[in-house]
Amino acid sequence: MSILQGQPIIDCDIHQLTRGPQDLLPYLPRAYQERIRLFGTGLSQRVGYPNGGDRGYRADSWPEDGGPAGSSLELMRRQHLDPSNVEYGILLGQEYRPIPSLPDVDYAAALARAYNDWMIERWLDPEPRLKGCALIPTQDPRMAAQELERIGARPDIVGALVPNGARFPYGQRFYDPIYDACVNLGLPLVIHTGSEGDGMNGQASYYIEKRQGRPLGYMEHLASMVFEGLWERYPTLTVVFVEGGYVWLPTFLWHMDADWKALGNETPWVKRAPSEYVFEHCRFTTQPMEQPEPIRRLLTVFEWGRAEQTLMFASDYPHFDYDSPELSLPALPEEMRRRVFAENARTVFNLPARQPAVAAD
Amino acid sequence: MTGRHVVARVGEFPPGTRRIVEVDDLSIGVFNVRGSYHALRNRCPHQGAPLCLGRLKASVTASRAYELVYGPDDELVKCPWHGWEFEVASGRSVFNPHRVRVPAYPVTIEEPEPEDPSVPTYPVTIEDGLVVLHV
Repeated sequence: MSILQGQPIIDCDIHQLTRGPQDLLPYLPRAYQERIRLFGTGLSQRVGYPNGGDRGYRADSWPEDGGPAGSSLELMRRQHLDPSNVEYGILLGQEYRPIPSLPDVDYAAALARAYNDWMIERWLDPEPRLKGCALIPTQDPRMAAQELERIGARPDIVGALVPNGARFPYGQRFYDPIYDACVNLGLPLVIHTGSEGDGMNGQASYYIEKRQGRPLGYMEHLASMVFEGLWERYPTLTVVFVEGGYVWLPTFLWHMDADWKALGNETPWVKRAPSEYVFEHCRFTTQPMEQPEPIRRLLTVFEWGRAEQTLMFASDYPHFDYDSPELSLPALPEEMRRRVFAENARTVFNLPARQPAVAAD
Repeated sequence: MTGRHVVARVGEFPPGTRRIVEVDDLSIGVFNVRGSYHALRNRCPHQGAPLCLGRLKASVTASRAYELVYGPDDELVKCPWHGWEFEVASGRSVFNPHRVRVPAYPVTIEEPEPEDPSVPTYPVTIEDGLVVLHV
């Protein structure tokens, strides 16, 4: 039984891939074209771990033309955008998200520009349902801000994309040039999992084990943003946490609120309870939706976490742990359903209501 | 409508192959695993993925930590989306065989009907049975 009842959805996490580094070469300066031809891009997601599914993706999402899963706009339309009634999909890339880990800042900035230009030309221009987040070289916040200023005013650029793995927690002043640009351009900061280093206690042995650490990185960034007073300094900034789960959030907020009452004098600029800042300024995507037994237990967590305000649907198409819009959540009350599956994202990403197709007279 | 559904002739459906058949509203995957035929609903109970398109594999268990013990090849089908694994012969999930399963359907091998019983027939070289799915 479909829980959506015909409602169009806004999918906050879709992954579009290149067919290979050759796709970006036309957008790169000569020096980097030569470098990539000789040495490859030098990027990697995480060294040494396997993944799930078929090389990380749904087995049925590999296009027949031989390109990687996610590299065919035609297959994405046919397999996901059309049948899943996607009003808008937010593209969050894949291979190039680790550029903040690159030691050569100029190279990282050039790759970010090239990725963004490729995404605009090959995905956003041809498909009005797709919007993109700008990759930025966070290792140099001024260069990152420059890239946001370059393309961030376009209506199809709807966020600034950064990875969970970071040199410093995202509340710190080091990143202020990025937040200045986000606020000037009206863009949310969008954090996607990836590039996480070793855990606090060392390296996880297995991929399945390492995945469990994603919420830990998000907790660090949240605590940093709260206690550095990020939203006192940037009261209009929205931050989206993608693919890090949701059910840990409300209990984490209880923890921060309790400590704020006791220890808040260390950070007196945090004038309100931490949970208030998070409910107002932070959004979290559903996938991979935790699946308790019975699944209706999620409704209790949604109440604790104010999901009607804070939760946004994401499929993660075409990764193997893709969440079906129809079957990954329990049935929701109508207003919550509208907000979780579309309206919260419409507000965060500033997306106009799409006009239905008008039949010719 | 429930009943018999002829899938193929045995000779056309060799070991190591599979077919997806549509029976009314149901999509069903029929497998030939080392000469035995099995049929499972082509819909994963998790999120509705096309289960019978998944890879066949051996079960992998552990007698002790860090040791792997392999069962027979092709005993399990692995869902092409999130990777849930089900016994091909029974439809039972690996992780909770008592409560999580996908419907399995009987498959029998039957003699083909004669083309026209009134016409005299004579022995021919090879008798090729029919793979019949019972839904």
